[in-house]
Amino acid sequence: MAAQRRPIGEAGWGRTLGAGIVAFVYFFPVLWIILTAFKTYSDALAIPPVWLFTPTLENFVQVFSRSYSAGAEAVATGFDRFFFNSIFIAGSSVLIALVVGTLAAYGFSRFPLRGNDTYLFIILTTRMMPAIVVIIPIFLMFQITGLAGTYLGIILLYAVFNLPFTIWMMKSFFDELSPDVEDAARMDGSSEVRLFFKICLPQVVAGIAATAVFGLILTWNEFLFALLLTGVETRTIPVAMAQTIGGDIGVRWGLLAAIETLFLIPVIVVVFVLQNHLLRGVTFGTIKR
Amino acid sequence: MSTLVSPALPQAPRPAPRIALWMVLGAILGALVVMVGALFLLPPAVGWWVALAGCAGAAILAVAYAWERHNYGPLLVAPALALLFLLNIFPLMWSFGLSFFAFRANRLAPPRFVGLENYVGVLSDPVVWERLQTTALAVVLTVSLQMVVGFLLALLFEKQFPGRRYLLILVLTPMMLSFVAVGAFFRYYYEPTFGLLSQFVRIFTGQPFILLDTPAGAMAGIIFADAWMWSPFVMLLVLAGLVSVPKYLYEAAEIDRASWWRRFRTITFPYIRGLLLLALLFRTIEAFKLFDVVFLLTEGGPGTSTETIAVYVYRLAFQYFRTSQSAALAYIILFIVIVLTNLYLYFVNRRAREA
Amino acid sequence: MSTISLRQVTKRFDKLIAVDAVDLDVGAGEVVCLLGPSGCGKTTTLRMIAGLEAATAGDVLVGGERVNELSPSQRNIAMVFQFYALYPSLTVRENLAFPLAAERIGRDEITRRVQAVAATLELTHVLDRIPGRLAEGEKQRVAVGRAIIRDPSCFLFDEPLSRLDVELRQQMRGKIKEVLSGLSKATVIVTHDQLEALTMADRIAVMRDGRIEQVATPHEIFAKPANLFVASFIGTPQMNLLPAVCRGIENGLIRFGVDAQEVSLPMEPALARLAAGAKVTLGVRPRAFDLAREPSAGTLSAVADLIEPMGAETLVHMLEGERDIRVVVDRTRRVRPGERLHMRPKPGQIHVFDATGGRVSA
Repeated sequence: MAAQRRPIGEAGWGRTLGAGIVAFVYFFPVLWIILTAFKTYSDALAIPPVWLFTPTLENFVQVFSRSYSAGAEAVATGFDRFFFNSIFIAGSSVLIALVVGTLAAYGFSRFPLRGNDTYLFIILTTRMMPAIVVIIPIFLMFQITGLAGTYLGIILLYAVFNLPFTIWMMKSFFDELSPDVEDAARMDGSSEVRLFFKICLPQVVAGIAATAVFGLILTWNEFLFALLLTGVETRTIPVAMAQTIGGDIGVRWGLLAAIETLFLIPVIVVVFVLQNHLLRGVTFGTIKR
Repeated sequence: MSTLVSPALPQAPRPAPRIALWMVLGAILGALVVMVGALFLLPPAVGWWVALAGCAGAAILAVAYAWERHNYGPLLVAPALALLFLLNIFPLMWSFGLSFFAFRANRLAPPRFVGLENYVGVLSDPVVWERLQTTALAVVLTVSLQMVVGFLLALLFEKQFPGRRYLLILVLTPMMLSFVAVGAFFRYYYEPTFGLLSQFVRIFTGQPFILLDTPAGAMAGIIFADAWMWSPFVMLLVLAGLVSVPKYLYEAAEIDRASWWRRFRTITFPYIRGLLLLALLFRTIEAFKLFDVVFLLTEGGPGTSTETIAVYVYRLAFQYFRTSQSAALAYIILFIVIVLTNLYLYFVNRRAREA
Repeated sequence: MSTISLRQVTKRFDKLIAVDAVDLDVGAGEVVCLLGPSGCGKTTTLRMIAGLEAATAGDVLVGGERVNELSPSQRNIAMVFQFYALYPSLTVRENLAFPLAAERIGRDEITRRVQAVAATLELTHVLDRIPGRLAEGEKQRVAVGRAIIRDPSCFLFDEPLSRLDVELRQQMRGKIKEVLSGLSKATVIVTHDQLEALTMADRIAVMRDGRIEQVATPHEIFAKPANLFVASFIGTPQMNLLPAVCRGIENGLIRFGVDAQEVSLPMEPALARLAAGAKVTLGVRPRAFDLAREPSAGTLSAVADLIEPMGAETLVHMLEGERDIRVVVDRTRRVRPGERLHMRPKPGQIHVFDATGGRVSA
């Protein structure tokens, strides 16, 4: 009996099942962490691991305040501050990078300088090079100028950290616009400023959003700079998490998983939203499609 | 062109620029004088602001100068280049300079010029070569694993099927996660008593399994975590190649009764070849910098069996405080990355030209 | 005064000469079509008038004033782009109003003019849509509307109808002609479609390889092509170009040998300079033949080879030796493959070109 014909390039539910199993296995490490976050202390340590359990929000409460010894009163852990720091620092630095980077990308795309490609290459290289190469002098600079441990310092640093990415990404969006539209606007007597704000910028709004979200994720995830250049006041989540892992938390896996879950959820939401721009984002705008 | 322009023709007037070059240069010079003066003569708190105001003034004049001449290009890229210079290029130059001096950041002794001694020292240090070997091993293993897994994943997701979009999200997520989070995951999974891996192995052996205890195991643990994270990256690039194959080619191949392998080799592969190469280069550059996962998972252990070159530079700089030596080593790494990046961009441009 | 003049305008891209010393005058109210195959430099010429490309040499004059150094916005020119170049993020209303922002006029006046233009071009019902949600024909009309809404010194159209289907193209041809006729501005239209050029233009400039081959009215271009290129480029089906040798003058007739056969034309003064033995090319349009029953002096005979019915007429490819001759006959005349036909070129419809390709007969 002949199987039902299907158009070329399409597969049916069989493929859904296969891909579903693979995707589940692939996603399992993340899923297990999220499950663990809802387990009680003993459930999380159960041997063999439990699949069915009564979920609890206890771990999430403890992320923000817990008692450090049995019977002692719960104290704030400072994680609310760390979350705020992460959001505030990532937000401000991405904003700066976006403003400066979008302008530069427009310049590189529309008014090429002599040696345009060289500039762009250097800019990409600064993004590709290991952070370790610049971190020593930056560390020294921050010590000397007193920027170490301040919001201003880390925000500036992250803005520059995001800048190459923003420039390449936005340039790739600007490069895609039809030059005819700009010619038309020039002929219609539009000034360059009006042209930029009224015609070009609205066309790349989606690109700006994608770039911003990517920048937020990159900054949100960044560890090494944060480790060396943030103080107690400005500590971000990755650093706090790393310190918690190595610190007093021991085998309170549920608690650790809860921190991670809170840390991961924004990222997963972003992947969902950004799916169409992911390729361009992870290659820093060098590959469009 | 001037030879052919007839001067007799009427010409629409064009406003003459009001700001001359000498004014801008003068302002920059003035700003410098103000800066130096302010920083030396005034109390630091005030002087700093005066200096800043001087810079701002000169900058505004320079902007006006470029604006009048419709030099939008330099104007638009200048702020970005300035920021990059301040926090990327300048530190790079600093560490370049540092690499020629003997200097330890935790001592008060002033830097002493030693020429190429640091480079000679680093390159003749067997430890460095050992770390480079470790790194090379890790890069080869993780990148090839990523290429294979990513490629297979891409084949799985090549066709349209119900729910593809949502399943893709599950697979793509690891790539966007933080190294810290991934390190923490796998620490948990590799944990000897409660970790899933150990529990799973115990079913068969009855013994707890301590993966990170042996050099080979630790390396495998790192490779697995890194490849898990980055295989989706390869998948994404291969998928981009796969969907760019025009459907009519497959239809023609179907009618010409081409076998699966032949169809793959003659139609599909040419479309993904370029992207595979780009994925390979990009992942190699990134894997070369392997730091966070190692740092969080094994801290280079057991012993130094998984200490990659990036981790070693970090230790040199911030644990042994051999600052200038670490700068020299960092520069050697940078050189390799620049070569690879150049190669990568060359292929990116070639692909763009072919498209 | 609304005129455009090009004086020895040249554009070089590195070594490639895209436009080569072009001279052209477009008077007020005149529509000139730049017609030519792709890559002939017509669009580059248009873009130099617009100021989107700088001329390498020569002068561009708009309204009698040299504008080479002026930016596009300073030239006060309106242009309709091939792909319309509508502002994707603005509504049709905002698109139409966009050029008016540069002119200092009040909000009420802007509204009034947008309404007026929208009414003329039947766009009133789509004013609040963005270009992405318009049909192809509507986009085209918005592009035209954006050009005519202000009072430019001249209009430029770059392949204005190339993206429309046949039916819309006919409608828009009429519409554009109607709109332009009321404005008395110098207009330059770039097209590769000769039908478009023939129907819309007051004069046509035929271009090839960066040079203008001929500038003349549509009628003249068709009736008196200046050289072999124009002759072969204009008119469908293509003109038959038959290599021939001048055999001499007899009884007020000049005789030409075409392979083994002979054609003779009434003598004209312009033909007098052809010496016997001179190599020429005879151009005869496929519709310029009369079919004769039997061979006689001045007929060409050939065997019908391939027959293409075109509706009202039938195109017959005839073989004469190695040569292919295209003849259009009325559909009522049934031609069978293999049939030998005798064709007599209609008097006054033979074009004679000399060895350099230039037209000989006046």
